[in-house]
Amino acid sequence: MITRARHPALAGLLLLVTLCAPALSAAREYLQLFVTEPYLELHTGPGRGYPVFHVVPRDGSVDVLFRRTDWFKVRTERGVEGWASQTDLLKTVLADGSPFRFPLGDRAGFTAHTWEMGIFAGEYGAATLVSGYAAVSFNSQLQLEGTVGNFLGKFTNGVTGDIGLAHIILPEARLSPFLMLGVGLVHTEPKATLVQPVDRTEQSAYVGGGLRYYLTRRFFLRAEYKAHWIFTRRNANEEADEWKLGFAFFY
Amino acid sequence: METGLRILLLTALLATLPGCASWRHHKGKPPSAQSAPAAAQSPDEAPPRVVEPEVARRQIKVPKIRSSNFELGLFYGELSIEDFGAHPVSGITAAYHITEDFFFQAEVGRAQAGRTSFEVLGGNVQLLTESERRFTYYDLSLGYNFLPGEAFLGRGHAMTSAFYLLGGFGGTDFAGDTKFTVNFGAGYRVVPIDWMAVHVTVQDRVFQTSLLGTTKITNNLEARLGVTVFF
Repeated sequence: MITRARHPALAGLLLLVTLCAPALSAAREYLQLFVTEPYLELHTGPGRGYPVFHVVPRDGSVDVLFRRTDWFKVRTERGVEGWASQTDLLKTVLADGSPFRFPLGDRAGFTAHTWEMGIFAGEYGAATLVSGYAAVSFNSQLQLEGTVGNFLGKFTNGVTGDIGLAHIILPEARLSPFLMLGVGLVHTEPKATLVQPVDRTEQSAYVGGGLRYYLTRRFFLRAEYKAHWIFTRRNANEEADEWKLGFAFFY
Repeated sequence: METGLRILLLTALLATLPGCASWRHHKGKPPSAQSAPAAAQSPDEAPPRVVEPEVARRQIKVPKIRSSNFELGLFYGELSIEDFGAHPVSGITAAYHITEDFFFQAEVGRAQAGRTSFEVLGGNVQLLTESERRFTYYDLSLGYNFLPGEAFLGRGHAMTSAFYLLGGFGGTDFAGDTKFTVNFGAGYRVVPIDWMAVHVTVQDRVFQTSLLGTTKITNNLEARLGVTVFF
């Protein structure tokens, strides 16, 4: 009975959300841009291959609804919706006549961006490593990084989590070295074939360095090495070398 | 003598200057504050104002542009686990669209493996426990929108679409061990409305195992249908 009653309630909630969604989106205030070039082309989809189906003449305006990658969905004064490219929109102006500016995924954006994320494959100790990271930049040279990794070896599997600082030595350069310093946790699961396998979680610290290389729009390569010290409960601490190579992007 | 007197007078003058300067604060009211009420009392005597601004200066607020590059969703399909039969698989997928061509994707999926033909024919033989038969995988992949295009529903509705290629790596937890796994495949994405997409994806998950005696590379093919939401 309760289950039956829940379904109409759920359906009602869904209906309410569906009905409210356009109302909520209509209440949003959109950025209005004015065309200063002879015309602004609107494409049918967010990509260079999609055909142009509409043009907005000079002095006409568009509301920017949202952005997907380097494309902006816009609505004209007559209510026509289409996709404008970032390069075209950068030639428009705001209501006060000042040019519209937007952070690009070019070399300048590579030098000064806020967020970056990436994935790596490599080696941790003697095990294969899969890892991902995210970083937030304080300025063009200093960033805070968080990394999560999964190492899969012959005798042990495990998970690592690191947090630390990275210093980019030449932020303006296409190829730049960087240095890293931080702390972390290592969870190790020895495989069942060994005698008395016990899972353990230990603290660690690392120093490291690497290279980053800007490839193309928003993309860069990252190769790095970290030397980990794992603080065990036994007499001697352990050391582990981590080598990895991966792709990353910034925004 | 005359020079000495001059210096003395100048020193006295310098000494009184700070005192004069602090006199204003001592009185408590600045001269402008005194003149303002005076002007209000007798408007005829007040100096004429040039232009009285009647409108407040308009502040142009630039609304933030909402970005919609993240994609989160669920999928359901069939996974063929080598030697263990094909079984339903379900999971979660998350993606970030970097450019119109490339996207990053992370996914987690789970299926329950069946019995090998050896177990079926052998009667009461059990190679794995029920929990060891749970096939859980994760992967981090890079996707490339290989053939972007449009799909049409009748005359009135066009949807953007893309045929994409996927490749990545991750781990597979199966038969009591987690193995490094390479995945690759292709998919087709249709975006019927701006914030929602429907995917059909086929992938192969390859890992090395020595579960059945010899070490070998296993191919685990997966076909699935997914629904994602952009935000």
